[in-house]
Amino acid sequence: MATERQSSRGKRWLTYGGLGLCGVAAGLPFVWMVLASFMTEGETLRRVLLPEQVQWTNYALAWKEADFGLYFKNSLIIAVMQVGGTLLFSLMAAYPLARIPFRGREVVFVGILGTMMVPEMVTTVPNFLLINWLNRYSPIPWLNNWPALTIPFMASAFAIFLLRQFLRGIPGELWEAARMDGAGHLRFLFQIALPLCRAPLLTVGMFTFIGSWNSLAWPLLVTNTPEWRPISVGLQQFVSEAGPEVHLQMAGAVIATLPVLLVYFLIQKEFTEGISLSGLKA
Amino acid sequence: MKKIPLREQAIAWGFLSPALLVLLVFGIWPIAYALYISLHRWRIKQEAFIGVDHYVRALSDPALYNGFKVTFFYALGTIPAELVLSTGLACLLFKILRGKGFFRVLYFLPYITPVIASAVVFRTLFSPHPSSLANRFWGFWGFENQRWLYENKSVVALGLKALGFSTYPAWVDTFFPSLALVSVILYNIWVYVGYNTVILLAGLSAIPRQYYEAAEIDGANPWQSFCQITLPLISPTLFFLSTVAIIGTFKAFNHIYILRTPGARDTTDVLSVVIFDQIFQNHNAGYAAALAFILFIAILVLTLVQNRVLGRRVFYGD
Repeated sequence: MATERQSSRGKRWLTYGGLGLCGVAAGLPFVWMVLASFMTEGETLRRVLLPEQVQWTNYALAWKEADFGLYFKNSLIIAVMQVGGTLLFSLMAAYPLARIPFRGREVVFVGILGTMMVPEMVTTVPNFLLINWLNRYSPIPWLNNWPALTIPFMASAFAIFLLRQFLRGIPGELWEAARMDGAGHLRFLFQIALPLCRAPLLTVGMFTFIGSWNSLAWPLLVTNTPEWRPISVGLQQFVSEAGPEVHLQMAGAVIATLPVLLVYFLIQKEFTEGISLSGLKA
Repeated sequence: MKKIPLREQAIAWGFLSPALLVLLVFGIWPIAYALYISLHRWRIKQEAFIGVDHYVRALSDPALYNGFKVTFFYALGTIPAELVLSTGLACLLFKILRGKGFFRVLYFLPYITPVIASAVVFRTLFSPHPSSLANRFWGFWGFENQRWLYENKSVVALGLKALGFSTYPAWVDTFFPSLALVSVILYNIWVYVGYNTVILLAGLSAIPRQYYEAAEIDGANPWQSFCQITLPLISPTLFFLSTVAIIGTFKAFNHIYILRTPGARDTTDVLSVVIFDQIFQNHNAGYAAALAFILFIAILVLTLVQNRVLGRRVFYGD
């Protein structure tokens, strides 16, 4: 009996040991980034492990030197528009795919999923030419402005797929009951289904937010002034200009990471719940 | 089949239209446009129609083959390692009672860190400097300092050198992946293992407990229940993850572009990087479009093959 308990305790140590080891590997670069952001330049060059004195001024310096204030504002506006648009349009598209057996549904669904396979490099040049054309002929300018940065990303196949998975799981009785009360599809979707979709919507929103925060090549292409450039471009330029000043680079990297981290911590529970839908059978 | 009233059909298309409009204009129309561009000489502006000349030229372009080779090794180095590691981690995480949430957040951290930020961190950690973290770790085990992201020699050649073989055939260097590419692969594994783990953990939680209890009564050991119960039941999730990963590695661009160093030369240039250079360095939109189209077709073929070969082995229950 005693040996059995010992062996199960040993197993538990082994389990936590393995998990901890991978945890260190996952967290180490992150921890190093934060530590280095508080060091003096000399300390980063000598590659010490801990800063002797926490250098908060690094943040002030990076913030001022790289004009992060402007880039931050731009990225936030772009992210909010992208997330809002994607959620609304994808939810609306997912609803009939999940619940109205209209003619041509399969073809439309497969077509939407197919867009996931198209590499960005195929669409970059044609889309750039298209944006140029729209810039010339539409009432508002597209280049160096929010439309080019947000509108092309307002629908995502992955978002539609995930929301469809969830909407399919809503019991049919709910719809029957709503219809008895005289509700149409629009009212059912926005008053009954929408509140139930909290977890998948937040999950899709998080992915869209991460994607928007990461985008680099496209914003570089459709903007040529800092006016609308997002933080990824700002950080990339700052890093290439700052040269060997690792401590300032890391302060910039931490600044760029904070908003994503904050949002993730706020919706962590729903995100875990929503992500479980993506692996289920179609 | 019951006939769907016309009104319902109209509502369905109405709901779909905003998303479909965006996807058609910015996702599907560009494919046709890219094909059109690839058939023309096209620098800044449209020039003469030249038919399939760009495709003929691509077939004898060493950059294309190198891009395919690098992409192939990149996929080979990342996907199996990621799936094995994350399956193991998810199984461990599934077992424990305390700290599950903590580890889940910790593992997910690399995925949510902006690519630019984490890539900058990796550039520093994997620098050739003798006191970089990678070299310190390597030195701890008694190995020589390496140039990591700046090394264009292949890992096999470096291994042979370390074993004392001073001469080896040149193809050992040109064929196998460089140490720089392996460093990029390590970065990719670091980013995606946590993401896969979280999704696999959700798949594991959906397996009914009774299956394991029944197996235990029948005298199955943990390894047997893993192979007979866990693996078949999470195979749809694994299939989903591998599909996403294959498409992802062929589309990968951002982090590879940022982790690119002059020292690595073209040994980390996956196809998307080659295409990006054609667009932005050589300003040759026509040729870039042809290369991009070849990449697109490769992704299509791979996904179909994967569906055929792996899709059949996926267990969807009764």
